Amino acid sequence: METFHLKNIRKTFKNGEVEEEVLKGVNLSLRPGEITALTGASGSGKSTLLTIAAGLQETSEGEISFKGKNLADVKEEKLRKVRAEEFGFIFQSSHLVPFLTVEEQLFMMLEVAGKKKEEEEVTAILSKVGLSHRRKAYPSSLSGGEKQRAAIARSVIHRPSVLFADEPTASLDSKKSEEVMQLLEDMTKERGMATLLVTHETEMLSYADRVVHMEDGKILV
Amino acid sequence: MNMALKEMKKNKTRFLIIGAVVFLISLLTFLLSGLANGLSEDNMASIRNLPEGNFHLTEDAEGSYTRSNLDEATVQSATGQNNYAFSVQMGGLEKSERKYSLAFFNSTSASPFPQPDKGEVVLDSSVKEEGVSVGDTLTHPQTGEELEVTGFADNERFSHSPAAFVNQEEFSSMFRIEDFQVLYTENEKDISGLETFSKSEFLSSIPSYQAEQMTLSMILWFLVLISGMLFAIFFYMMNVQKTGMFGILKAIGVRTRRLFYMMWVQMLTITSLAVLLSGLAGQTAGVLLPEAMPYDLPISTTLALAVVFLVVGFIGSTFSGLRIRQIKPLEAIQQGEG
Ligand SMILES: Nc1ncnc2c1ncn2[C@@H]1O[C@H](COP(=O)(O)OP(=O)(O)OP(=O)(O)O)[C@@H](O)[C@H]1O
Ligand SMILES: [Mg+2]
Repeated sequence: METFHLKNIRKTFKNGEVEEEVLKGVNLSLRPGEITALTGASGSGKSTLLTIAAGLQETSEGEISFKGKNLADVKEEKLRKVRAEEFGFIFQSSHLVPFLTVEEQLFMMLEVAGKKKEEEEVTAILSKVGLSHRRKAYPSSLSGGEKQRAAIARSVIHRPSVLFADEPTASLDSKKSEEVMQLLEDMTKERGMATLLVTHETEMLSYADRVVHMEDGKILV
Repeated sequence: MNMALKEMKKNKTRFLIIGAVVFLISLLTFLLSGLANGLSEDNMASIRNLPEGNFHLTEDAEGSYTRSNLDEATVQSATGQNNYAFSVQMGGLEKSERKYSLAFFNSTSASPFPQPDKGEVVLDSSVKEEGVSVGDTLTHPQTGEELEVTGFADNERFSHSPAAFVNQEEFSSMFRIEDFQVLYTENEKDISGLETFSKSEFLSSIPSYQAEQMTLSMILWFLVLISGMLFAIFFYMMNVQKTGMFGILKAIGVRTRRLFYMMWVQMLTITSLAVLLSGLAGQTAGVLLPEAMPYDLPISTTLALAVVFLVVGFIGSTFSGLRIRQIKPLEAIQQGEG
């Protein structure tokens, strides 16, 4: 079974003369079909860990092993390809492309991931996230919840192996949050993704298969 | 999927505005270029219409045809088929009360210029409109010599004046110059004692021509430069606005190259459309403007300028796009916009 491992990840930021170690040797594994929830106080290093795992910033030390490769050593172009084909992203804001309609966002993602233009797949996923009637709409005309659901559809349309979600419900009210979490759970199970979910909200933890708590740059066991 | 065109479709006004500005600037460039070319033709058609070749002046003339005096022997030995000598002097003729300012030409037999007999003159056809016709007699006020108009030649001008072609004898008595000033050879590059100029070099050695053309072409290139900077500024502002989006696109795995293609497609679409329209307008102006207006915009010039606009637009947009390469996906995510 393919898994995603973070081994002894350290990250140091330099602010002028001052060096600050934000991650102090983190070990974490993600498993297919499971949501791993990452919690912890603000500033404990959750987002830093997620972005390092996702290949969006470099680690100072440690290994990110995925499909037999150590992503910490992979060159930028290869890493981009991994992100495009194997990873999905959901952020606090939906970050949709303003000039593409909902369905075009999904077609674009398929294209970026080098996949065929699957009409049926798009139709299926849009109905799953409840946006069938809004498929021709531009992001500016969607509500916050609709935007986030469109972002979820975009993050999974290309069938990534790993899904990174950094506080995907932070901008939604509790009812919308429940909906979005339910969707994430379904998708993770259905598609066998290894999902890393960063969240502040304790209500969301019930959707997770595993909860990991971070404190001061370390994972508490 | 063509994201470039999708963006243009969604943000029509923004792109229409830049398109309109490029249209206006390129139109202005075309009109100015037509004017520069027209003025040049009005100024120097008689020289411009000669075939490419070598123009020789005596070395002591230091590049000024007015000070050049070719000696008889040189002219004798160098002229022949496709090689000829000529002189130009500014002067005038009168018909009753009317005075005509003319550029007098005198040339050896192989030249494309008309060579009337003694007592005759051939004039540029523009003089027709000023009331001169074949058979009229014109007087040279200084010498009192009388010349009969035997014909007209099309588009023969020098120093913004209509040309008048006369015989060697008349020319010498009117201007007291025996020698020819300029030797034209088709292929002969080096003739001892003479300095050689290409056609364009010879044209720009004529001070009034040089000054006129330089001013116009300076304005022209400024306009081209401005349009390039305009593109740079426009795309710079758009790119700054889109920094967040570009960051996200990079994060989900879009190639930086693709973001550049997007910009180039947009720039090419805008410029092509704008320049096509202004090029057509520039050509139409040539038809609509009154005959007396010196305006001449050849298709070849239009096309050349169009290419220049595309190149300049490309450079301008690419230059401003360089910052796209520096955008880090992470910053965009942390900015949390959209
Ligand atoms: N680029 C950076 N340069 C310097 N310091 C940074 C940088 N990015 C993050 N940090 C610091 O690292 C620490 C952890 O930040 P991080 O964003 O990972 O926290 P977090 O756990 O996600 O917090 P929150 O719950 O508020 O999102 C913070 O103290 C932050 O200031
Ligand atoms: Mg965070």
